[in-house]
Amino acid sequence: MRCRPLTLTRSKVMLRIANKPMIEYVVRALSESDITDILMVVGYAKERIMNYFGNGNDFDVHIEYVEQKQQLGTAHAIKQAKDSVGDEFLVLNGDNLVSADTIADITKRHTKGTSILTTSRMDTSGYALVIESDGVVREIVEGLTLKNVRNTKTGIYVSNRTIFDAIEEVLQSDASKSEITGSIERMIENGGAVKKIVEGQILKNVHNINTGIYIFDRTIFDAIEETLQADVSDVSEFGITDSIQRMIDAGYEVHAHRTDHTWTDVIHSWDLLGVNAMILEGVPDSVHGPDSKVYDRVVLGRDSVIGENSHIKGPAIIGRNCDIGPNVVIAPSTSIGDNVTIEPFTYIKNSVIFDDVHIGSHSTIKNTIIGENNVIDSHFVVESRRDLTVELDRKLYHADELGTVIGDAGTIGCDVSVTAGALIGMECRIEAGTVVRRPIPSHALVV
Amino acid sequence: MCGIVGYLGRSEAVPVLFDLLRRLEYRGYDSAGIAILNGSILTSKAKGRVDDLVSITPEIVGCIGIGHTRWATHGKPSPENAHPHCNCKDTIAVVHNGIIENYIELKDKLIDSGHKFKSETDSEVLPHLIEECYAGNLESSVRRALSRVRGSYAIAVVSTMEPDRIVIARKDSPLVVGLGSDGHFVASDVAAILKHTKDVIFMDDGEIGVITNDGVKVTTLDGGFVEKKIETIDWDPESAEKSGYEHFMLKEIFEQPAVIRETFSGRISSDGIDLDAALPNVRRIVIIACGTSYHAGLFGKYVIERFARIPVDVEIASEFRYIDPIIDCGDLVIAITQSGETADTLAAIREAGSRGSQKLGVVNVLGSSITRECQYIHTRAGPEIGVAATKSFTSQLAVLLLIAIRLGSERRMITTAEMDDLASGLRQISGNIQRVLNDAPRTRECAKLFAGADQFMFMGRGANYSCALEGALKLKEISYIPAEGFAAGELKHGPLALIYDGIPVVAIATKDGVYEKMLGNIKEVKARGATVIGIANESDTEIERYVDYVLRVPDADTWIAPILSSVVLQLFAYYVAYYRGREIDKPRNLAKSVTVE
Repeated sequence: MRCRPLTLTRSKVMLRIANKPMIEYVVRALSESDITDILMVVGYAKERIMNYFGNGNDFDVHIEYVEQKQQLGTAHAIKQAKDSVGDEFLVLNGDNLVSADTIADITKRHTKGTSILTTSRMDTSGYALVIESDGVVREIVEGLTLKNVRNTKTGIYVSNRTIFDAIEEVLQSDASKSEITGSIERMIENGGAVKKIVEGQILKNVHNINTGIYIFDRTIFDAIEETLQADVSDVSEFGITDSIQRMIDAGYEVHAHRTDHTWTDVIHSWDLLGVNAMILEGVPDSVHGPDSKVYDRVVLGRDSVIGENSHIKGPAIIGRNCDIGPNVVIAPSTSIGDNVTIEPFTYIKNSVIFDDVHIGSHSTIKNTIIGENNVIDSHFVVESRRDLTVELDRKLYHADELGTVIGDAGTIGCDVSVTAGALIGMECRIEAGTVVRRPIPSHALVV
Repeated sequence: MCGIVGYLGRSEAVPVLFDLLRRLEYRGYDSAGIAILNGSILTSKAKGRVDDLVSITPEIVGCIGIGHTRWATHGKPSPENAHPHCNCKDTIAVVHNGIIENYIELKDKLIDSGHKFKSETDSEVLPHLIEECYAGNLESSVRRALSRVRGSYAIAVVSTMEPDRIVIARKDSPLVVGLGSDGHFVASDVAAILKHTKDVIFMDDGEIGVITNDGVKVTTLDGGFVEKKIETIDWDPESAEKSGYEHFMLKEIFEQPAVIRETFSGRISSDGIDLDAALPNVRRIVIIACGTSYHAGLFGKYVIERFARIPVDVEIASEFRYIDPIIDCGDLVIAITQSGETADTLAAIREAGSRGSQKLGVVNVLGSSITRECQYIHTRAGPEIGVAATKSFTSQLAVLLLIAIRLGSERRMITTAEMDDLASGLRQISGNIQRVLNDAPRTRECAKLFAGADQFMFMGRGANYSCALEGALKLKEISYIPAEGFAAGELKHGPLALIYDGIPVVAIATKDGVYEKMLGNIKEVKARGATVIGIANESDTEIERYVDYVLRVPDADTWIAPILSSVVLQLFAYYVAYYRGREIDKPRNLAKSVTVE
């Protein structure tokens, strides 16, 4: 949801980073770790995934697929694997970038039973906290975000564990409600404040989040059945953490292992820009373009043509069969997909352009993501700003730096400008001369 | 129409032969068999699929053997008619793909000289004939036997008399040898052996080969020496697996955006179209093809005439070759064939060549017969396993567009500025196909509603006429529902009589010069009670007033729209067949490439 509009036509794992879908980084990390039997639980827009990976041969792994027909959460997803996995198996999400080192942090330390890989985040909102002592998990707490603390008490009362008891104490001792929420916010933001109230061991746990990487044995399937059969009239998704919690409550030992290696997730579509830039930094100096024109740190695909007097500054990647220039400037940290045409005098910086896009002449595109099959006429200008607020599905979010994000298959007339942070949905038609100041919903016609 | 395989080496032959046969099943699947050489010849045959054969085959030990998967032409599918066939003494076993035209005459003579036949097949004459010719050397006896045979063949022969070798020969049917470190392989299609080795030798017509542990020795049928090149194939045989899809057909439909991108890759620029083959300047073009490729040819006529203003005739290959065609050196004959092995198409282009015309192939399988006989343009669709052609069809349309535009610019019918626009139009096709695929759930819903229908009609005009024909063919071949395609203007001349209350009519009504006429035709069938499914552009707000259901395609030029509409119709046919519970990848009575007349 939060990666819209790009996820209207593809699953999040297929969002491209340096011209490779996110999940390819996961597959490659597994392959490097000699984990070569992979079962992908696919659902929404599964065809794109299956087309891309086939049976895994091109990636030196063996991939099979199982379909999760309804999107009913991670527990339900893992249940689909029941008939295909052995006694012990590793579970990861396709939309978190990991390295082989990350995977080693759980596989090398795992001994038996169930293991969870955790990592540390300063801002834990949106993640599940893993409360552990001496490597043994006591509780997984979902949904405890600053926002929840502010709006509802349930986020706090869910638990009787020490830290939450402490918070409850604060709640009851203070008089004014607004003061309470304020003090809790400050307390959680500021590790020091928490430390005064709770034990030091708990403090560590406040930043200890669940990566969604697990090793299970087959007992998990019994716990999943319990989760699925529980009375959940108000819940539409069955999370695997619920199943794990049931195992803990039933007396199973669940181990937590921590990683400090790569574990990156993309929450909003615009987070792709930062991750893309980070991955492109890995393009080595020794990579050059085709013989006639040499660009340092530019990966150029087969059958792509760069016109005269174009300037491409790496790191950058350009896919296959592109027609770029003449007189085009591509500045660092830009990824351009396959079959993209860019007409003369256009400037593109720190952006991600998907496949089959046409960009007209004299356009300026910075910190922007353009979905596939957009046809953009000349003089298209995107404003880019730092520290801005982005509206998405009637909610406001923060972005560090952003131009815009454009969904698939739009048509944009000539001389269109977009103000920073105004996202454009899929299959929009924006007529010539328009200034886009507000978010445009999908399939809209803008005149 | 069959597949033949062989193995000789250090491993057990049976599992290797089964693996090779499974990969050739697309060539035919009504019966299968193997013969293993181990002191004597041990055979196992079954009616049905290779898996049926596997389930009834006892353990047979031996490191040399041949196998066959059949698509019946002479004699019904049965274990008796399944290959391999043996001579009376069970000392010679033969697998054969092709047709022996003079087999009745040969069979009568052999029966006169005391041979006993067990099957109704033409192929069985071969082992008896080889025995008849045997005088101490298997290779020479095969050579002598084949000199008496008229027709087409790819064969593999083993004999207890010379148990260290497989003798193979080819005429007008494909045959490939793979050279591996643990043994050597024979197959009708290179894709079958690539799992085992990448080093292959393509046999040519009129060649005979002897495979032993030392390798393969090739000579011509009349004894001349041939130096064969070992070619290394770098594409991946595993790409021919279903990878998560329920059917190859659906996988292949969804591959189309990538396929079209590949078809165009490196061939389009704002300066012009770059093709693998030179296009001669001719007065007339004749396109010859069969089945789906013929429908691509009708589209080719439309675009070549539009862009290049060269008159184009489109002929069904099996008709063309027998009508004493009027062809001369001022003509270009374009043969369209996915496999490059379609017997009628090959014969037709040879016929045209013998009358002095220029020849061009549009083909998907590299190394196939047609690529050895004339210059060709590769459609680059990748291996297509589903019997119903999908991605090979759209890639043929794409190549024909390239040919049309190239001819147009060579003849100065297209200005350089127009060329620039055309290039960007072509580049957008793959993205627009993706949009059609994004809408697959809607097509699926619509197909589900009509899965119970007992008859369909498809209609279109202009460039969409070929689409209507192809949409009907797709539907009938995989769903077995009677379906016909018509030029909408022809309705009044007969087909309107077929309209009854509730018959589903698929009307391809994308915006073009004859859109208004098409609406008129839709009204005609509606007025007579038909339920109309319209294929219309996204921006078309009018269409809903005329039809009952709408399937949308992105707005596109007249000459691109048929490609997008075809993809919708492929999905529609697939889902109708799916809801009818049909065996989609291997429809009854049909085979992938038709290498017999």
